[in-house]
Amino acid sequence: MINNLRINKNNFIDQTIRISFKFNGKKLFGYKGDTLASALLANNIHLVGRSFKYHRPRGIMTCGSEEPNAIVQVGKDSSLTEPNVRATEIELYEGLEAFSQNCWPSINFDIGGINNFLSPLLPAGFYYKTFMWPASFWEKYEFFIRHSAGLGKSPTKPDQDLYDHQYVHCDVLVIGGGISGILSAKLSVAKGLNTMLIDDKDYLGGSTIYQDDDIFKINNENSNVWLKKQIETLNKIPNLTIKHRTSVAAFHGYNYLLARENLIDHLNIDERKGKIRQRLWKIRAKKVVIATGAIERPLVFSNNDRPGVILSSSIKKYIDYYGVKTGENISLFTNNDSAYETAISLNKSGVKVKVIIDIREDSNSILSEQVEKSGIKILKGYTVIDTDGYKRIKSFDVMKLSKDGGSVVGNKITYKSDCLGISGGWTPMVHLFTQSGGKLKFRNNDNVFIPDENKTPSKQISVGSSNGDFELDDVINNTVKNIKIFLGLDKNDFENLNIKCSKEKQKRNIWLLPSNKPISKTKPFLDFQNDSTAKDVKLALREGFKSIEHVKRYTTTGMGTDQGKLSNMHALGIIADTTGTNMGDLGTTTFRPPYTPLTFGAIVGRNVGKFFDHTRRTAIHDWHVKNKAEFENVGQWKRPWYFPKNGETMHQSVQRESKAARESAGILDASTLGKIDIQGEDASEFLNRVYTNAWSKLAIGKCRYGLMLNEDGMVYDDGVTTRLAENHYIMSTTTGGAANVLSKLEDYLQTEWPELNVYLTTVTDQYSTMSICGPNSKKIIKKVIPNLDLSDQSFPHMSFKNSKINNVKCRIMRISFTGEHSYEINVQSNYAKDVWERCIEAGKEFNITPYGTETMHLLRAEKGFIITGQDTDGTLTPSDLQMDWIIGKKKYDFIGKRSLYRSDTIREDRKQLVGLLTDDPKEVLEEGAQLVESLDKPIEMLGHVTSSYFSPNLNKSIALAVVRSGKKLKGKKLIVPMENKNINVTITDTVFYDKENKRLNA
Amino acid sequence: MFIINCPYCGERDQSEFSCGGEAHIERPKQPTELSDDQWAEYLFMRKNIKGIQFERWNHIHGCRKWFNVVRDTSNDKIHAVYKMGERPPIK
Amino acid sequence: MLNFNSPIKEEKKYNDLNIIEVEPIIKINLRSNKREFSTKIGKILSILPPNEANTSSGNEKFNLLWLSSDEWLIYSNDKEMSLDDQTNLEDKLFNEISKLNQGAVTNVSDHWVMINLNGNKVYDLLSKSCPYNFNDFKNKKGSVAQTIVNRIDVILHHKEDDNLNLFVRRSFSEDLWLWINDSARFI
Repeated sequence: MINNLRINKNNFIDQTIRISFKFNGKKLFGYKGDTLASALLANNIHLVGRSFKYHRPRGIMTCGSEEPNAIVQVGKDSSLTEPNVRATEIELYEGLEAFSQNCWPSINFDIGGINNFLSPLLPAGFYYKTFMWPASFWEKYEFFIRHSAGLGKSPTKPDQDLYDHQYVHCDVLVIGGGISGILSAKLSVAKGLNTMLIDDKDYLGGSTIYQDDDIFKINNENSNVWLKKQIETLNKIPNLTIKHRTSVAAFHGYNYLLARENLIDHLNIDERKGKIRQRLWKIRAKKVVIATGAIERPLVFSNNDRPGVILSSSIKKYIDYYGVKTGENISLFTNNDSAYETAISLNKSGVKVKVIIDIREDSNSILSEQVEKSGIKILKGYTVIDTDGYKRIKSFDVMKLSKDGGSVVGNKITYKSDCLGISGGWTPMVHLFTQSGGKLKFRNNDNVFIPDENKTPSKQISVGSSNGDFELDDVINNTVKNIKIFLGLDKNDFENLNIKCSKEKQKRNIWLLPSNKPISKTKPFLDFQNDSTAKDVKLALREGFKSIEHVKRYTTTGMGTDQGKLSNMHALGIIADTTGTNMGDLGTTTFRPPYTPLTFGAIVGRNVGKFFDHTRRTAIHDWHVKNKAEFENVGQWKRPWYFPKNGETMHQSVQRESKAARESAGILDASTLGKIDIQGEDASEFLNRVYTNAWSKLAIGKCRYGLMLNEDGMVYDDGVTTRLAENHYIMSTTTGGAANVLSKLEDYLQTEWPELNVYLTTVTDQYSTMSICGPNSKKIIKKVIPNLDLSDQSFPHMSFKNSKINNVKCRIMRISFTGEHSYEINVQSNYAKDVWERCIEAGKEFNITPYGTETMHLLRAEKGFIITGQDTDGTLTPSDLQMDWIIGKKKYDFIGKRSLYRSDTIREDRKQLVGLLTDDPKEVLEEGAQLVESLDKPIEMLGHVTSSYFSPNLNKSIALAVVRSGKKLKGKKLIVPMENKNINVTITDTVFYDKENKRLNA
Repeated sequence: MFIINCPYCGERDQSEFSCGGEAHIERPKQPTELSDDQWAEYLFMRKNIKGIQFERWNHIHGCRKWFNVVRDTSNDKIHAVYKMGERPPIK
Repeated sequence: MLNFNSPIKEEKKYNDLNIIEVEPIIKINLRSNKREFSTKIGKILSILPPNEANTSSGNEKFNLLWLSSDEWLIYSNDKEMSLDDQTNLEDKLFNEISKLNQGAVTNVSDHWVMINLNGNKVYDLLSKSCPYNFNDFKNKKGSVAQTIVNRIDVILHHKEDDNLNLFVRRSFSEDLWLWINDSARFI
């Protein structure tokens, strides 16, 4: 049974290497070089899946990426299984396990098949029409619709496979390794251009490589022999890179293309470990040659979807390339010459061709004459009107076409066949051309959309059948002629080749073939995967849909995983015929990337797991790790969140850390704050313009807190800036704002104020910063830097000193974000860990306590200091933050000043920052919780909690919030409604602790 | 991804740049003299053209310089790049 | 002296690729749009800052990389340069340039981490996540490129054939180091 479908005659399949695989649990055999589809056909399996809507039995229909039916689930493992893989593209490997999709309980007995009998009830737009009303029922409908939607099963576990990306820059990229692509690549490399040739198969040569027929000759050799010789020389060319099993997914502007290379899917499972599965190539090409070929069209007639109905050129490939007979008793149905090539191939292989039905009245080409001579019966001017057979075609009915092709006449003839090859002509693969911005034109004589040479983006060209050349001599001559101009070539080897081929003499095209039955009684499928028929398209038109984009979505034609590679042209043709429009005027639906589906893995590449996002570490990071810090992500930084001791909870750690910081000494790694070195004679003027307060009078050696606004007047960033010398400052920014602040300041310097002589250099990573705070901080600094004068007169709050620790320069700032007496040591990062350890060592006797961001947030909240980005959200002015004191009223201008008295920013009922105390001091509010005045509906939201903590130093809960008209509401009672309770709060001042700032100098 | 010809560094991939919106909107020299409406015009109003648009770009992952780009937003074709302070080479 | 603690502490060798951090190296950022600046630098370093984009100048002691029309990076070839010598150089530049309003001089020795990559797979490795076109860069000794590798800002300096120095901000350096090593498995 198995071997009589496999004929022994070609070089493409290695019949010495037998491969076992499983399909739907059944163990089968194929050979090295087979695809899953060819191996199944060799095992006489046509039925591989059920259609999406009606669950009709469907078989392998093509031999390439356009396959609509034979899509399977590959692999059983829950992390490696992959749905919707085209059996025609799976190279057979040892241990392959594949399953049919969209059938239950089995492919041969599928419950959903009942939909086929209900099909009159399931017309286009069925779901839209049926599940519209009543609206409240949607939730109930949705469950069932979702359940029956979708094809295949997603993997349930993370993908274990490896994926990679690679950029490549080349002079010329040739897409497609058929004869026109190979000629283009050879011409390109001969010119010395760095060339990349990409093909989605594991072999080069396209369909010409198995075109072994005396009719097709190049320089007196059979075309396949000639081409094979050309391919053999390719491997020796150093400036040519060939990528097999690689499919271009997208062609973007500026000749930027994405191509997916399959590296291991063809290997046996045990050979794959540790290897990259797919690589996404990101290609920049100076010039692109599109040689993507064409795919054969089906013909649209009733029940044209039965297993055993196969594209005629695919039948030819299965026999000539894979050595597989798709049936014992094959008939062909065509509107063009290519089916005759198939007939010759079958005849040569000893497969009986029962009859060729040709809708043309006459087709006297070399090909057809040769077929006629061989004795194969040809019915000219006939059409197939119906087929029979459930899981495999058994027979088909034929009638004579009327002269105008609009109806059938005469008597019905029935032919028995187990395979029917169909050919409706060819469609150039213009997907990549249009993705790149090219526009198509319609060629009326053979009904194809081809690239419009006047609307082709520069630096690309389409050649071969993707450019609408279908005959061997046209393909070669036009490719050579056009590439010569495109690449600016001189004379070359491929001019004046002696080419012999058959030429098609007659053309006839009927998008929807007539039947002896009314259309309502027929099932002429257009989109095999999505089960849309010509009837659906006509219904959509009757219901008023006119735009092809609308018809497409309403009928779902072309919306399957194959994106309508086979169906779109017929849908367009039927719309054009029905509405009496010229197809060229109708245009096409938009071709969007990817050309064939991409895995998420390929898109993401290696940016998974630890490479999902960047991790920035401070120079003291290792110490934090060693001392068991819990980390918090702050932007991309890893910052110590808290340092739990002996199994403390976060709350316990934070309470301990914050008490220690106020009672004795705490130390914080503040290295993540942005630092910008500012130099130049206009540095002071520059600061005047970017901060709200005045800077000219800041003495050298002093520090000042500054607030930076956007031009809209909203607080953008804040930080302390220190005047190191006359024209030298160092600015600190928030951790998250560092990059944006630098970029914004550079923007002003370069564009608005080029007259200012100021230079900005980021030194965020150059210096590490440790902040030591608390009543004992002075004693610790004294121990670490003994010769530094720490007296209040010499080194008061908000001042700085240069110093050295063991000959390493450092800057000490006396600034405080906690309200405690504190110092910040800034030192070159590579020495920071040592300095930090010295501080810890020196502070031991004072119980110096390292604290993290949570304690820092709590300590500053006790003092009512804001954190931009937490208490602000880009909608608050300084006045909203009750920080009017920081606005330099005398300054003529600064960024955002004019906006501070726009009608909107002076409104009194803006949201404003306030303090909140809960009536129950133990109750800690949730950040983000809403504030309301009363619970009467509709409840008006007055604001929300921005920061909230339990303060161990005050022994009560404290919070900051923004509240409408908050400034005026001190003492007012509000409610925080939560899921299970309502919390009563009172609006207070924003400063909770040490209102007189006595501790700064303690 | 376009290729942008940075006037300082030469042709680079778009991912090295960031776009700063419409070009040639000068910050008023005397903001205090402006009415709310005039200030709002500067602050908020931007064109969003299908076709030739003048834009500011920053080579943020390269030389950090800002410059101007004339781009056709309908097909991303860049017609010109020129430095800050220079006049647009085309209208 | 204080303990010097660089972020990367190992050297890695793969087929056709070696990577190693080279530290401590003094690095100084220069900014200026003043005319006298170039001469002053020439006097102090005995090399002139390059005017041509994406290039560098250098001698046995120092390299001077073009970063922008008004920005350059000095780095030393000498790992043994004493801290005092480093401080003296920085001070000298600062006093001659910055103090006299001829530009800006900023020590960035610890801002950037310098990683040397060499071997004939260097460009394949970088191109896994770097959109930069190395075709010209790799044929020209002394080329400089500021670009992104795995979305991280880097400065690349072509030293010799298949040998380049990569500068990455210290806080990103371990992340990029891990990525480079992970990538090296697949070249």
